[in-house]
Amino acid sequence: MSKSVGRNAGVLTIVMLGILIVGQGHSSLYATAITVGLYALLGVPLGLIYGCGGVLSLAQAAFAAIGGYASALLFSHYHLPPEATLLPAIIVPALFAYVVSRPILRLPEMSMALATLALGLLVEVVFSSSGGLTGGYEGVTGLPPIPIVGNSRVGVLLLVWSAVIICVYCYDAFRTSARGRALIAIHVDRLLAESVGIPVARELSLLFAITAGISGFVGWLYAHYLGYIGPGSLNVHLSANLLFMVVVGGRKYSLGPVLGAAFFVFAGDWLPGSAQAHGMVFGALIVLVLLLVPEGLLSLVQSRFRWKRVASRPIPQSSQLSPEQSL
Amino acid sequence: MKIAARDLAVRFGGITALDGVDFELNRGEIVGLIGPNGAGKTTLFNCITGVVAPNAGSVVVDGADISNHRFDLRVHLGISRTFQTPRVNAHGTVLEAVMLGFNPIVKKPLFGSFFGSRSVRKAEADMESRAHNLISELGITTDPTKRAGDLSLGALRLVEVARALAAGPHYLLLDEPAAGIDENDQGVLANVIRKAAKDGIGVLIVEHNVPFVADLCGRLIALVQGRIAASGEPSGVLSDPHFVRAYLGDSNAG
Ligand SMILES: Nc1ncnc2c1ncn2[C@@H]1O[C@H](COP(=O)(O)OP(=O)(O)OP(=O)(O)O)[C@@H](O)[C@H]1O
Ligand SMILES: [Mg+2]
Repeated sequence: MSKSVGRNAGVLTIVMLGILIVGQGHSSLYATAITVGLYALLGVPLGLIYGCGGVLSLAQAAFAAIGGYASALLFSHYHLPPEATLLPAIIVPALFAYVVSRPILRLPEMSMALATLALGLLVEVVFSSSGGLTGGYEGVTGLPPIPIVGNSRVGVLLLVWSAVIICVYCYDAFRTSARGRALIAIHVDRLLAESVGIPVARELSLLFAITAGISGFVGWLYAHYLGYIGPGSLNVHLSANLLFMVVVGGRKYSLGPVLGAAFFVFAGDWLPGSAQAHGMVFGALIVLVLLLVPEGLLSLVQSRFRWKRVASRPIPQSSQLSPEQSL
Repeated sequence: MKIAARDLAVRFGGITALDGVDFELNRGEIVGLIGPNGAGKTTLFNCITGVVAPNAGSVVVDGADISNHRFDLRVHLGISRTFQTPRVNAHGTVLEAVMLGFNPIVKKPLFGSFFGSRSVRKAEADMESRAHNLISELGITTDPTKRAGDLSLGALRLVEVARALAAGPHYLLLDEPAAGIDENDQGVLANVIRKAAKDGIGVLIVEHNVPFVADLCGRLIALVQGRIAASGEPSGVLSDPHFVRAYLGDSNAG
């Protein structure tokens, strides 16, 4: 079990090196890979809380926006450099998520999605309508570049992808730890989780806050990579797309969201036609993937290599009870 | 050192599930809880473990009033339980199902869990070997790497007992552990329960299999319609006319 923990992170490291080499000839590949990396960095933590923990969040982009704005506003109002705003950009959305999580995470999956959606919309409205404080619809421009790597695309690529690789490693390590089993137990059956002493609400809030903190980091990267952040940059639309990426790539695998992000970005680049037609083709593509491989694209690869031995007998009735049924 | 419940009352809408129940379970003793369907046996379990908040009454464990403690906190005070209908992650392995039981006693540092620290990996290996021991102690012969969802009901019950024992409880509450398991496994189960009691664990067993509990328990409590109809030595309880009439029907009352 523990030997394979680093495997996925290793695969991703090789992919990153491959991109670095191939991209030397085609510099646009670097820009694309950075976008994929940023999406993956939002998607992998979401994959953990959704795929393992059943927390369906449509607020991840909003947390990123909070992080990005925290940094942008500290710069524009107090002239703090990005080095100094990194920590606030992570901690502010994490704290915010922790505070709002208790009532939200108690809800069933669908209501949770709606509640986090509302949260995302709220954050968007606050940023766009706060006038002079946040720059309103125009947002904040002229932000300094990311420290150390500066404006070097290779540098940003390395930074973003290293972060993704670390996230994937942490996902795999966590998943095979006692805490990871606890998270899966919470998802399967909260009463079962409580019966072995897992403080369900606290555990979910904590993990939710951690994903928000990572999202905040992505917002910080985004703002200083582009030198700009506005209310439309990291919006609810992106939150929904992130969920697509996680599900299409494979929500039960650490690499699923990474594959989903790549699929999303490359399909967007290669599909012909207008933006509108684009959206329709894309929607159809997602439906097709979900119908043909409900566990996500990565399940095609995984099933070939790993799950061959697992019997596919249906689960007996006794073990899939709803919490209400006979305790 | 004991669990003492005083004057417990539970109502679900119009139904009175428990009605003024006093109850004690000492460490090291085996007590059987019997009674017809709907008598309130599982509800009593739920009150003691904190799944259901009683409308009245208190639960005291080792001298501390835990009436307002949440379910997950009571496990940390040494109260482990199984469920009448086994609850497992059907997609996980048998080994993982048992390892889940170690949760209250294993350290789970947040950053160590994410970064796979040496102490976390060591604890993991340690738990794995102890889970293997528990599995063999309970005579679970299925391959531990098998999917828990593929097990028979009987095997699932034993997995639940193993999971409950993993936490190292002071009190073990088993809800119909022998239902649906074959005689050979019942024998293994009885031995495990006796050994647990000898190790100082207080065991409370809900069972419809009367010979099984009568043989195992030093004391029986008969619950009828949310009230204690009889309690004491098994032979006394089983011949108590009030209880016999309620449990076995009038024809056997003679
Ligand atoms: N969550 C609940 N909501 C409403 N009524 C309930 C609930 N749990 C139990 N009851 C009712 O309370 C009464 C006692 O139920 P309980 O499950 O405690 O009985 P039991 O003795 O365990 O029975 P069995 O032998 O069938 O398991 C029953 O009438 C049952 O319908
Ligand atoms: Mg019952």
